Amino acid sequence: MNNRAIHLWFIGPAIVLMVIILVLPILLAGVLSFTSYSLGNMGADWVGFENYEKIFTRSTYEKMFGATFRYVFVVVPLTVALGLGAALLINSLTRFGDLYKTIYFLPVMAALIAMAIVWEFALHPTIGLVNSTLERGCGTWLEAWSWYAQGCEKTFPLWLTDRDYAIWTVAFIGVWQGFGFNMVLYLAGLTSIPRELYHAAEMDGAKSGWDRFRLVTWPMLGPTTVFVVTISFIRSFQVFDTVEAFYPQGGGPSKSVYVMMFAIYEKAIQQNLMGIGAAITVVFLGFVMCLTLIQRWLVERRTHYS
Amino acid sequence: MAQIELNGIYKSFGDTRVLDGVDLHVSEGEFVTLVGPSGCGKSTLLRILAGLEAASNGQVIIGGRDATSVRPADRNLAMVFQSYALYPHLTVAQNMMTPLKMRDLSRFQRLPLIGPLASRAQYRDLTEQVRKAARVLKIEPLLDRKPGQLSGGQRQRAALGRALVRNPVAFLMDEPLSNLDAALRVHMRAELAELHRRLGTTFVYVTHDQAEALTMSDRMAVMLGGKILQIGPPSEIYQNPQSVEVARFVGSPPINILPGEVSPTGTLEVLGETLGTTEARQSVVQVGLRPEHISIGTHGPIVKIVNRENLGSDIYLHGKLAEEDLRVVFRVSPGTQAQINTHVHLNFDASKALVFDGDGHRCRFFATALEGVA
Repeated sequence: MNNRAIHLWFIGPAIVLMVIILVLPILLAGVLSFTSYSLGNMGADWVGFENYEKIFTRSTYEKMFGATFRYVFVVVPLTVALGLGAALLINSLTRFGDLYKTIYFLPVMAALIAMAIVWEFALHPTIGLVNSTLERGCGTWLEAWSWYAQGCEKTFPLWLTDRDYAIWTVAFIGVWQGFGFNMVLYLAGLTSIPRELYHAAEMDGAKSGWDRFRLVTWPMLGPTTVFVVTISFIRSFQVFDTVEAFYPQGGGPSKSVYVMMFAIYEKAIQQNLMGIGAAITVVFLGFVMCLTLIQRWLVERRTHYS
Repeated sequence: MAQIELNGIYKSFGDTRVLDGVDLHVSEGEFVTLVGPSGCGKSTLLRILAGLEAASNGQVIIGGRDATSVRPADRNLAMVFQSYALYPHLTVAQNMMTPLKMRDLSRFQRLPLIGPLASRAQYRDLTEQVRKAARVLKIEPLLDRKPGQLSGGQRQRAALGRALVRNPVAFLMDEPLSNLDAALRVHMRAELAELHRRLGTTFVYVTHDQAEALTMSDRMAVMLGGKILQIGPPSEIYQNPQSVEVARFVGSPPINILPGEVSPTGTLEVLGETLGTTEARQSVVQVGLRPEHISIGTHGPIVKIVNRENLGSDIYLHGKLAEEDLRVVFRVSPGTQAQINTHVHLNFDASKALVFDGDGHRCRFFATALEGVA
């Protein structure tokens, strides 16, 4: 064997695999997005930027972006904050820490599609647990809140089918389901903070918990936070199963929950419009990439990696 | 600056007793070293003094006030940790400024951006204090670097700087030199001792290295098994140890402990040599002789030289006694020609012999002048 080519045998298999299963499909999606290809057709027409033009002009896609960004910008901050909060609380416990960890992690482990059915029951407008609980509060001091009084007078919101509430309800379920995962990541981050730093902080006069958090905990969790925020962004951009479970027919009331993943699925799989589906995929990829890069750049400047 | 008193400190972790009734009085401006093998409780004692650990029983008095239940932040002590415990995300200057900010500024003034703008004068003041401390430690060029960009010695100085920057009542140091290489350790030893003289502040220093204790401290406390065995000036501890454990721990190479026999009249004999008379009641005692108190003689016990350590200024010879499985280390001057595998006679300096009874307690001993010379 030629000695000069031997290095190719070492890196070759990895590169070939990477190209075939990672790079090629993305490039293929990129090419498809410029065509009107449908699965089963022998050929396809080159349509240029027509697919992209549709995405950025039609109102359906405007709704798609609206729903996606609403979801992402509610779910990401809340899951990160709640994950950190829960991790800090559990970390401060001497007993029952494992119990709380398990409880908060349950929604992450459970299949969301099954959980969605439970939520659908709970949020049902007439027989649901949520609204019937709210109704019990009618006639009490809670009516001082005008929103509540209104709910008593007419009906409480149709959480899943009112277009003003639907996306926020779905986002709430996303938070409920997702923060346990971030909590576990933060717990791992917390255990890696040297105890001596807290002792040094105490000796330096950091008396309150907030001082210690600002001086030691938060900066030392920097690398964890970069990872947690990135993974939360990607996960919430990819939300699909809740939407599919609640609204199998077309993205919720007035398409208010028409998130990108669902749009891709609907266009490319259900309607067999591969071209437009591929175009949304490319845009989706672009968004995730941009946001990840921006937040990495923002956070990394202030993050210390030891 | 203040006096520090530890009275009857007990500490147990579960069933393990770590400190067993320790009393320690440190006077103002004194450099006291707690020295002992690992696990003797010296670090725990320092942490109890700092307040980072609560004693199971006992009292901590700092500057005449009972500080037993005062939290560490309010004791106004500064501590240098073995791992330095610098905040890795802050520069050296920010690290040094942290204790000043925490103590001298209100929460509002500590806010990022707004704080420094609103109270510029105070921040300038603090920066000046940091500069002054940095000048003392000669770390001014390092102020803008982060701990990750510093060498071990520089980190050590930065940690010292953080302790030094405010005027604490005492400095507590937990093995601060143990992460440095040998040459730097010797250098920092001298520097710390100098720093102590210059500042005149109380230092309580924990180490497992008896050389550090001997070279730097005004007084050293030898700890073992959760107790202070002996406390006193280094020369006193070295020359006049009150127990065999202290004698063994202090000194390098360690002291030779030889078996001694006491006749009913009180005459002490070691390896056939009569050294003097002792008040020990037992017939078998332990006799300690430091390497520098044994020399090559013309008669006396014969040893075979099995090792020769040349330190330049001195040579240490390891001799093996023929009949007993005993090794004796003794010091000779560099010109000595004794070679490995040759046999030499040993001469004991009886006036320096330390006699310990079977329990390891020191016994009074009077050297016979005549025999001592032989």
